[in-house]
Amino acid sequence: MTTFTTGAPGAISRRTHPLWFLVPAYVLLLVFFFLPTVFNFVYAFTDWSGFKAAINPVGLDNFVQLTSDGTLFRSLRITIVYAVLVAVFQNLFGFGLAVLLERDTVVNRIARVFFLVPVLMSALAVGYIFQALLKGTGWLADTTWTIVVVALIHAWKWMGLSMLIYLAGLKTIPLDVTEAAHIDGASQWRTFWSVRVPFLAPAVTFNVATALLGSMNGFDIVQATTGGGPARTTEILNIFIYRTFGQGLFAQATTMSLVLFLLVALMAFPVIHVLRRREEIL
Amino acid sequence: MKRWIAIGAALTLGLAACSDPSAAPETASGTVTWADPTAKLDGVKLTIWAAQNSNTVPKSVVDAFQQATGATVDVVTVPDPYEQSVQTKVATGDKPDLAFWQPTASMLTAINARTNLQPLTDAPWLPSLDPALKDITGLLDGTRYAALVTSPAVEGVYYNKEVFAAQGITATPKSFDEMITLARSLKAKGVTPFHEMGADRWATQWWVQVQLADAAKAGLWDRINSGQAKFTDPDVVKAIETYDGLIKEGLFNSDIKTAKFEDQGTALLDGKAAMVVQVNSFFGQLQAKADTATLDEKIGFFPISPSGNVGTFIPDQSNALVAFKTGDAKREAAARQLLAYWMGPGYQAFVTDRNTVSLETAVPSPAGVPKALLDVHASLPTAVGSMQALAVANPDLYINLADMIAGTMTPQQVATATQDQFVQLAKAAGYLK
Repeated sequence: MTTFTTGAPGAISRRTHPLWFLVPAYVLLLVFFFLPTVFNFVYAFTDWSGFKAAINPVGLDNFVQLTSDGTLFRSLRITIVYAVLVAVFQNLFGFGLAVLLERDTVVNRIARVFFLVPVLMSALAVGYIFQALLKGTGWLADTTWTIVVVALIHAWKWMGLSMLIYLAGLKTIPLDVTEAAHIDGASQWRTFWSVRVPFLAPAVTFNVATALLGSMNGFDIVQATTGGGPARTTEILNIFIYRTFGQGLFAQATTMSLVLFLLVALMAFPVIHVLRRREEIL
Repeated sequence: MKRWIAIGAALTLGLAACSDPSAAPETASGTVTWADPTAKLDGVKLTIWAAQNSNTVPKSVVDAFQQATGATVDVVTVPDPYEQSVQTKVATGDKPDLAFWQPTASMLTAINARTNLQPLTDAPWLPSLDPALKDITGLLDGTRYAALVTSPAVEGVYYNKEVFAAQGITATPKSFDEMITLARSLKAKGVTPFHEMGADRWATQWWVQVQLADAAKAGLWDRINSGQAKFTDPDVVKAIETYDGLIKEGLFNSDIKTAKFEDQGTALLDGKAAMVVQVNSFFGQLQAKADTATLDEKIGFFPISPSGNVGTFIPDQSNALVAFKTGDAKREAAARQLLAYWMGPGYQAFVTDRNTVSLETAVPSPAGVPKALLDVHASLPTAVGSMQALAVANPDLYINLADMIAGTMTPQQVATATQDQFVQLAKAAGYLK
């Protein structure tokens, strides 16, 4: 805690500049971060559209209309299914790769680079490449399983990042702990699951949270691969928002993005809370 | 404390700015002046927005206009989905001088024509237009906002002449029912009668619309606009059910769920399917795949409706231009002048360069226009308006129909979802209070 006492004998004055020097920084924060968020709330309660110039408040009309129509709930359900699938796949793949490529051999270093390349690729490029690869196979035409295929593609793109974070986690496990386990007579298997894996808890927290919440806000990969099809079974909320905005229904689209924001927030807090509790054993 | 006042002030200012940036005073539709098409415009710079499929349309006419007037005209390609991109740009206050735009009531409403567009009242080229086409589209509540430059698209049936001939069919069907009878006999002989693109979706709606052509003539869309009729009424539902029934009967390609627009063109050209219900852009695809001689030999067109050979017209974005109110009187006048040049002294060169059908009685169509396109154009005078042309809002009927093809919606659900969305859009546009 910094104290701003001035003139007291012996105290070091940290206050070298007047506080109002912070104003430009706060103005930027206000204009580019705070106001857009406020508008995201405000416009959700208006009839803003591409059809007329005036913007009038309409109260909860947009919410009532959206909840009376099943499309929003369907999109929400698809979004959650997608996010959970991505979180599971991305972490399984990333964890597996990290364990496989843990030793710092030349082959492993090269392999790590290859798995990291998709992370650096454009998400749209990834989507279009897979669309072309899977064209004619029927993999993107099944109304039940296409969502799984798209989640796998999303996980494929980002698994390199999870791998990197798990690798970092594995590298920071203190050697004396594993050595102690070894001296105590624990098998390799036992050491791995009971000693090393619990140490990865912070990496799990970060990876699960970013994968889950990142894919809740997903758009690019799904749009490029299926565009929401077949029969809208992969129409995650952001694609629905994009379609609605494109029809000139700006207020309705804003309302949906507000719903998405609330959903992400509602999911983020419990998920992060539970995962952080797992870290308490450390 | 002062700080909080400052933040409060900034916030209030920010909220005060919370109005549509595209808002401009709605001018009363008074008289519109039209300059001589070739009057000098040195130093005037105009911008035209075009889509990926229309950006080559203005090339020659723009070059000629620049030479004749000294103006600079920049054709900017706005990425697809074009309508969506343009609406978003306009909503945030970004406007060109001219843009390609679907000249229908619903799309003029969608771009807020009354506020954003210049009325083209008493345009000098109107008397030269074919009287049957003059007022076919481009009007919103009696005010003209769009200039039709090419022949508007028509929903109808493109067929493979060789497949028909091989099966001994000499005359094209005279009504929708006759067409279905013909399709059943083709199927019995092992020919796939129809081709549909379930994956690319947008063509699915033509099947419902051509079945509603007679109802459209009797004012169906006016009644839907005013809320007297609905998509869930028996006549519309029946059209959707008929389409569903024909698919289930096996009269379409077996890969209907996954077929795309590209596949449709290939299938018809190769004779893998006998007929395709489509619009002009489909023929554009065929033109990219085969030359005019081959097309004249292989591909024919006939309009269809339950009662006879009535087409359903659907002007699209590449058919027309709108002029924006930019607030700069000089550029606004220059934009009108460009349209007057295009449809006046420059029109003959334009249709020749584009090898397209002429809309003006005094300007003959070039000799190289494919036969099928002439047939499409010939069907226009008796054609009725499509949903896009006459409804005040344009719901995603095609997406719902594609879902029906994929098996996730019933015809009744298609009708309900379409009606709900229509009401939502119409209300946002200020109709259906």
